[in-house]
Amino acid sequence: MTTVPDQVLDCTGLQCPLPVIKTSQAVKTLAVGQVLELLATDPGVEPDMNAWTRRTGNELVGISKDGDVFHVLIRRAK
Amino acid sequence: MWTGEGEAKILYVMTHGVNDPGRCATPFFLAASAAAMESEVMIYFTMYGPQLLQKDVIDKIGPKGDQGQKLRYFIEQATALDVKLLVCQPSLDLNDLAIEDLLDDVGMIGGAAFNDLAAEADAVISF
Repeated sequence: MTTVPDQVLDCTGLQCPLPVIKTSQAVKTLAVGQVLELLATDPGVEPDMNAWTRRTGNELVGISKDGDVFHVLIRRAK
Repeated sequence: MWTGEGEAKILYVMTHGVNDPGRCATPFFLAASAAAMESEVMIYFTMYGPQLLQKDVIDKIGPKGDQGQKLRYFIEQATALDVKLLVCQPSLDLNDLAIEDLLDDVGMIGGAAFNDLAAEADAVISF
């Protein structure tokens, strides 16, 4: 089943730490239970989003890669 | 000085100044990343570090010298996420600076407060 995001955040072309900072800000605008899709080309985004979700208690729904673009689905958990 | 409201407490220590621009931005963007992870974050500037907080310096240098983003961009990215910036008087004296020469909102502490912050922090990261 495909998760449909409630909001899409395009961080393609942006480098660390901007995807993390912008994700943090974007998730705060969601209601609990809603999903953000982050698009990013920074090669560090996968370990970064694993760490970020673990630290902040939000749920990493999944990460996939389409060409150079990572698609990261994050559900606001609290 | 820590409120304990963050997910973790991280103290960065910056000792480098304007003579080594390639080192000037990293503490700010790591601090910004930590703050975006809901950590409580402070950066303590000592030795040559306070040089980087001068009002008349932050638009002149950046990690790649004349090219790319200037220091103001990295500092404001961190402070917008509530990263606290701290200095101590002896290191201002070392660099012939007064607190008025520095950005607003830079806090002044002393050695005892610094060591207390370090002892209470979950991590201290020094540059």
